[in-house]
Amino acid sequence: MVGQAVANVLFYLIVAVSLWLAWSVVSSRRILRAAVALMGVLGASAGLYLLLGFPFLAGVQVLVYVGGIVVLLVFAVMLTRSQELLEDHPSDLRHKVAVLAGGAFFGVHLWALRGMPSARAPRVSLPASDTEMLGRALLSTGADGYALPFEVVSLILLAAMIGGIVIARKTQPGQAATTEPVHPLAADAALTAAGSAEQLAESAPAPVSPPVREAAHG
Amino acid sequence: MPDLSFILSHAWLIPALPLASFLLVGLVLRPLHKPLAGAVATAAVFAAAGLSWWLAFDYLHLPKTAGGALPVLVPTSVEWLRFQEGLSVHLGTLLDPISVMLLVVVTTVSALVHLYSTGYLHGEDGYGRYFTFLNLFTFSMLGLVLAPNLVQMYVCWELVGASSFFLIGYYYDRPSAVSASKKAFIVTRFADLGFLLGILVLGYYAFTIHAGMGAAAAGQQALDFAFLTRPDVLSQLQALQGQFLGIGTLTLAAVLIYTGGAGKSAMFPLHIWLPDAMEGPTPVSALIHAATMVVAGVYLVARSFPIFAASAEALQVVMVVGAFTSLFAATIGCTQDDIKRVLAFSTLSQLGYMMFALGVASYEHPLGYTASMFHLFTHAFFKALLFLGAGSVIHAVHTNNIWQMGGLRKYMPITHGLFLLATLAIAGIPPLAGFFSKDEILAAALHSGHTVVFGVGLLVAGMTAFYMFRIYFVTFWGERRLSHLHHQDDHSHDDHSHADPHESPAVMWIPMAVLGLLTIGAGFVPIPEWVRLVPLDGKLPEAHHGVDLAVAIPGTLAGVIGIALAWFFYAGDPQRANSAVLKLGRFYAVIKAKFYFDEIYLFVTKSIIFRLIAGPIAWFDRMVVDGLVNATGWVTRLGGTAVNASQTGQVQTYGSWLMSGVVLAVVVLWATTRQ
Amino acid sequence: MVEYLQSLTPDLNTWLMFTSALFALGIYGMLSRRNAVGVLLSLELCLNAGAVNFALFNRFWSPVQVDGAVMSLFVIAIAAAEVVVAMAIFVALFGYRRTVDVTQLNLVRE
Repeated sequence: MVGQAVANVLFYLIVAVSLWLAWSVVSSRRILRAAVALMGVLGASAGLYLLLGFPFLAGVQVLVYVGGIVVLLVFAVMLTRSQELLEDHPSDLRHKVAVLAGGAFFGVHLWALRGMPSARAPRVSLPASDTEMLGRALLSTGADGYALPFEVVSLILLAAMIGGIVIARKTQPGQAATTEPVHPLAADAALTAAGSAEQLAESAPAPVSPPVREAAHG
Repeated sequence: MPDLSFILSHAWLIPALPLASFLLVGLVLRPLHKPLAGAVATAAVFAAAGLSWWLAFDYLHLPKTAGGALPVLVPTSVEWLRFQEGLSVHLGTLLDPISVMLLVVVTTVSALVHLYSTGYLHGEDGYGRYFTFLNLFTFSMLGLVLAPNLVQMYVCWELVGASSFFLIGYYYDRPSAVSASKKAFIVTRFADLGFLLGILVLGYYAFTIHAGMGAAAAGQQALDFAFLTRPDVLSQLQALQGQFLGIGTLTLAAVLIYTGGAGKSAMFPLHIWLPDAMEGPTPVSALIHAATMVVAGVYLVARSFPIFAASAEALQVVMVVGAFTSLFAATIGCTQDDIKRVLAFSTLSQLGYMMFALGVASYEHPLGYTASMFHLFTHAFFKALLFLGAGSVIHAVHTNNIWQMGGLRKYMPITHGLFLLATLAIAGIPPLAGFFSKDEILAAALHSGHTVVFGVGLLVAGMTAFYMFRIYFVTFWGERRLSHLHHQDDHSHDDHSHADPHESPAVMWIPMAVLGLLTIGAGFVPIPEWVRLVPLDGKLPEAHHGVDLAVAIPGTLAGVIGIALAWFFYAGDPQRANSAVLKLGRFYAVIKAKFYFDEIYLFVTKSIIFRLIAGPIAWFDRMVVDGLVNATGWVTRLGGTAVNASQTGQVQTYGSWLMSGVVLAVVVLWATTRQ
Repeated sequence: MVEYLQSLTPDLNTWLMFTSALFALGIYGMLSRRNAVGVLLSLELCLNAGAVNFALFNRFWSPVQVDGAVMSLFVIAIAAAEVVVAMAIFVALFGYRRTVDVTQLNLVRE
């Protein structure tokens, strides 16, 4: 009974924290605050994974999601800093439509769940570590292995990384990326050819592009 | 198959050379360097001609079959389209006496015409284009000649039609040339439809027979000539019960195929395109519309002769149409003023000769087959020479009208001599080529018992001599008529139209001289010994030798009378011709208007087909079909405008729709799966 | 101790109600946020709810296997890729348009 009480308390605690934080993710006026709240929601989900008996999954959730993705989001917000980015006021109509859509979704779900048989998790003796099982499943090439999807996901990550770099390269409106003033290799070539550091300094691009600076001031 | 020499097993090289040159000249050289384009095209055809002669030499030295005939070889056969076992189409080469003969004729005349054209078209804008299409024509004609099955023949048949179209319309800035090329294309296309239907009918039944023969037909395709002309296949085709409008199946197929041949060979009533085709450059007329392409119809009938022989009615059609065309065209030829048109009608007449020679042939009297092919052979040379001579004259005086020429004997001695030679040949004067072949044809008609046809042949022989010498006398004898006119009314012309007409350059008269030699020598080539109708049992009877005096004397006499008449009317006092024309009056006018055939066709197409059939269809198309299409577009645009408002371009609008869709889908799913 | 806790937690429907609520909140955020980054944050909520569901069904329906958990891992990985690309797009977009307000980004219509 004590175990059940502990489990229930933990569960409802996490649920409550999650929902509260999730609400602030979607409603907070300040984007940075929303990002931090999302961090909290994801952390709480890591707690849920733990509760479900997936310590490795919980670890991945914290490391990748909380530590990686959200930090990236925060970085991006900071890099494109502007007043507008930090504030957010949904319009009235937009707010209503969103409430309707979210509410309808939730309603339909509840309705569907109502008729569904429900049970507690079966009480079986679990393997000592989900880490080992996950590792075997991911790298197994057998009938129930996930080696191929695993490799595909790694390719997707690589493609996303390259795509992200290419897309986010600093370009000005109306200026193609290839016409940047100096290509790093060109700078190297100039250095070798002339042996002059001045030339390199002259031709190096400004650290921050002017329009972004203007926007920051404005 | 015995060991074949290189050229016999590589006969495909002969059409491949002009094809390669066509691609090279057409795609690469034409825009770059005109003289080079002409030189390459000419060289390629000369090479093909050399190979053909080599091939003919080797072929004639092959061991004969048991029956004494020259062998029939298919050294190359590549599968091209495979429909079914027994119904796949092969591309290949077929060597038998007539294909080898035609190979030599086509490449030789083509090579000489190519050479002649380098002079004739010197400095013209379309020089490269001209040689491109001339190469294309040579290639397709050779493919046609070598075709081992009906489909390859049909493909090349259309290709020669297309190249003929391009070359007739060579002067595409002249409306007359444009309409002539369209006319030629449409008329021959119309006839080719018959050919295609014939192939389909024949192919359908032949394939049925092929399927029923099993192993006996192994290695042969239903549309191969070798299969179609097998005696057992022919007897099965003959035994077919099918009837269409009271015509037997085999006869129907043969007549349909003949329709294609008649269109290409300009048989009555599909003859109307050939005189107009003279709008093309004269060397083209010499090569395509006299020596080679127009004989394709004759060749087709000869090639599938066993099929025709199996159907007496079809042969009857071939004979009657041929004889009639021959007479009909000769009549018109006596009245025309345009030198090339006279030659065109003479070609028509001679083609009719070849056709009726085939028509009188049978397995009992096979001479007509030989005679037809022999005449095809000799006619190619002297008719090409006549055209090249006419071209040389036109080149010198810049007109086609014989009444504006005259007295050219003095200015163009070489052309005059060669033209006279060819004219004598076509008139059937011994010992020139035309005499021998014409004699064979007349003999074939007489000995096979077709006396009426023999009479027509004799009459036509006389008329041929008459109208050919008519243009000869008017053109080369008498006084000069043209250049005086030029001096008086037009001083802006460039120099050489003021000056006296002069002899053509060597590059033009040398090919003519070669053709002249061939005109003299072709009659002595023992074609009748080589080209013979192989009887169904494969055993050739003793060859027919020598000249049949009972035929040769009347034939020659007819020619001499014709010449004499022409001399009487046109060489001396011009009043004689004029008064004769006046006496004939209305009759003469009708003939001169070519019996109003063009007008009849125009009436039929314009007033009947266009107004009564095409007009309503066009109205239906404009009002109903186009209306429906426009209505579709209009409704779509209206719909687009209406729906446009929902496309805000904002991602969240789309998101909202997406979510409503999801919710709706779940509800529907739930409602439909509820028990 | 942790190994047994899962069997003592509330029943499946309670869990699912929670994850649907999380998802519904994500939908609300996606449709109401004007800031593209905010939309992305809400999207992450939805993804996370999905990932939790995978683990959930794994534990409740076939506890001795880990296929659901593998799917959760993949969801996390794909989310990482998606965030990288999305953020790169926002940065580039900001460079061009000086805004990441999704209500003003209607170039598709124009």
